[in-house]
Amino acid sequence: MDRRRRRARALSRIRSAIGLTLALTASGALASDTPTPLRAMAWLAPGADLAAALGRQPTECLLKPDDPALARSIEIGRAAFRDPLLLGGQAARAGLSCESCHAGGRDNPHFRFPGLSAGSGTADVTTSLFSRVRGNGVLDPKPIPNLAGPRAALKTPVTALPAFIRGLVVEEFDGAEPPAAVLKGLSDYVSALDPAACPSARDEPVSLAGHLADVRRALAAAATAIDPQTAERMVGAARAALFRIDERYQALPAETRALRAAARRLAALQAAARTGAPGLDQGIEIWLTDSQSLERRLAAREAQSLYVPAHLTRLRRDRP
Amino acid sequence: MGSIRVLLLAGVIAGFAGGAALAAGSGGGGGMSLPSESGPSYDPAEEYAKALAALDARDFKAAARSAQRVTDAVPQNLDGWKLLGAAQTGAENWKGARRAYERAIKIAPDDLNARGGLGMALARLKDPKARDQLDWLKARSASCGAGCNAELLRSLTAELERALAEPTAPSARLDQPLILADAGDAAYLDAVGLINEGRYEVALARLDAARAAFGPHPDVLTYQGFAHRKLGRFEVAEGFYRQALAAAPDHRGALEYYGELKVERGDLVGARRMLARLERACTYGCAEAETLRSWIDAGGGPGR
Ligand code: HEC
Repeated sequence: MDRRRRRARALSRIRSAIGLTLALTASGALASDTPTPLRAMAWLAPGADLAAALGRQPTECLLKPDDPALARSIEIGRAAFRDPLLLGGQAARAGLSCESCHAGGRDNPHFRFPGLSAGSGTADVTTSLFSRVRGNGVLDPKPIPNLAGPRAALKTPVTALPAFIRGLVVEEFDGAEPPAAVLKGLSDYVSALDPAACPSARDEPVSLAGHLADVRRALAAAATAIDPQTAERMVGAARAALFRIDERYQALPAETRALRAAARRLAALQAAARTGAPGLDQGIEIWLTDSQSLERRLAAREAQSLYVPAHLTRLRRDRP
Repeated sequence: MGSIRVLLLAGVIAGFAGGAALAAGSGGGGGMSLPSESGPSYDPAEEYAKALAALDARDFKAAARSAQRVTDAVPQNLDGWKLLGAAQTGAENWKGARRAYERAIKIAPDDLNARGGLGMALARLKDPKARDQLDWLKARSASCGAGCNAELLRSLTAELERALAEPTAPSARLDQPLILADAGDAAYLDAVGLINEGRYEVALARLDAARAAFGPHPDVLTYQGFAHRKLGRFEVAEGFYRQALAAAPDHRGALEYYGELKVERGDLVGARRMLARLERACTYGCAEAETLRSWIDAGGGPGR
């Protein structure tokens, strides 16, 4: 290996080790270690079929309850489940969310996090990698359970879920204490995952429509939240959901610019929610109305985006 | 306490071969912004690497050009000036070498290589002040105790004496590769482990070695700032955070830690300014901004 490559490799390892953002212009010596094109590629087993792993996802098996209050709580949990900022520390910095492991609320056979997984589809959630509190000093990865699998196959009784999930977020992933409504939402969401609610197809394409729906549902959850902390987290979850669209449009600068402008407007709404300022619902409504043209514009270019499996297979793998 | 946790965890990650997961996390962690949206026109760490490569290839003019860009972008960075000094020495631009080493010595008066380099340049310029550097090196040798690189002092002294005796003889030192990237890499990983164990002083020495290999790399500079901060040297820490931000204005870690430093100093206004920059850098939200925000809200480290 020539020196230049060696140095680039070394820098890449540095970057990996420190896990911090590098706002570097990617060119020359650093070209070989720009971050992986899609965030989730970082926790993909080597050799995974990119079109399958990034182009398709398990369908969600979510019960629809009659009780509107419960339905709202589930939506809050659903958004939080997909928000990396629910988790703290290194997991959040890496961009991991509950859904990275439990894709569509199920499992993720492609998941492989260096130092955290033994084989594909496994993870050690008691490692000091993510937690000081629960780090047990041994690497003992377990298969990621399908949370929508038969109840009997799961270890945690439904009544124990609230405490279990709080422990996961705060202790295993070193996250900040989430608002009570978010914690309740998470256990309501996990309890509402049920084999009886599974669509007939086991998986479906990852699509712009699906990601846009995630954004809209998170915003709807923000509008129904009763406390400002929860509303703030939900707007944050919508913002994080927009990122997943952004990365699929990275080759289309006009679209990513528009997405970023929309994200900045969400950031302003989030800041307002943080102070408990009135008018959040109205702000969300205006944002949703304005974003319709953005949605159309994105849909018009979806064929050029990384939602298309054929484009995914051409992505450069950036794994050593 | 958020930030140290990150470092602790980073230390663990560093131990795994190919911890690529976080490489991606860093770039795509929900707050990606296009490099073209911000940042200097030259990336100092990259120019530093180019300068090193050019030195290896003995293309001293190119090396000087790249090193100059490093010092333009990050004028407070010692390594940039030393590299420029070395490049100018190779190019036999003695005046340029003198200027570069003088700047280096201003930043780090005790840097042996900079002292030696300045002495050499002055000797070639037949400037009697070269003797001052020789005297300095000799005084250093006389008091060389623990942590002092006696061998380096010896070779610098010998070389300077030779140059003073025969100012036109070619320099031998440039025939050795200056710095090995692999050595820098190892030093860096060591440093992460040491910070992990709370051994900040030793870690800093290793980070110096890493920085010599990588130049003003924002990650390394951010780590240096962190270690100094943990040792209570807020001003030194601030200097490193500022260098990191000069190299990469949107560097999330540097913005977060610099903001935390400001909180620790009771400068909440300054901390909020860092948070505002962080929020601009994180279009889609990021953990760094959330952590700094909780520091500010708590008026100190949250949950410490
Ligand atoms: C790094 C991958 C990963 C992430 C992220 C993750 N989990 Fe898990 N989860 C696992 C693994 C592996 C297990 C099985 C642990 C075991 O068997 O000891 C598990 C177990 C569970 C269980 C218990 C299942 C049972 O058998 O009763 C629940 C509930 C759960 N996770 C919910 C969540 C929620 C909610 C989040 C987000 C806060 C989350 N998980 C994030 C990997 C992950």
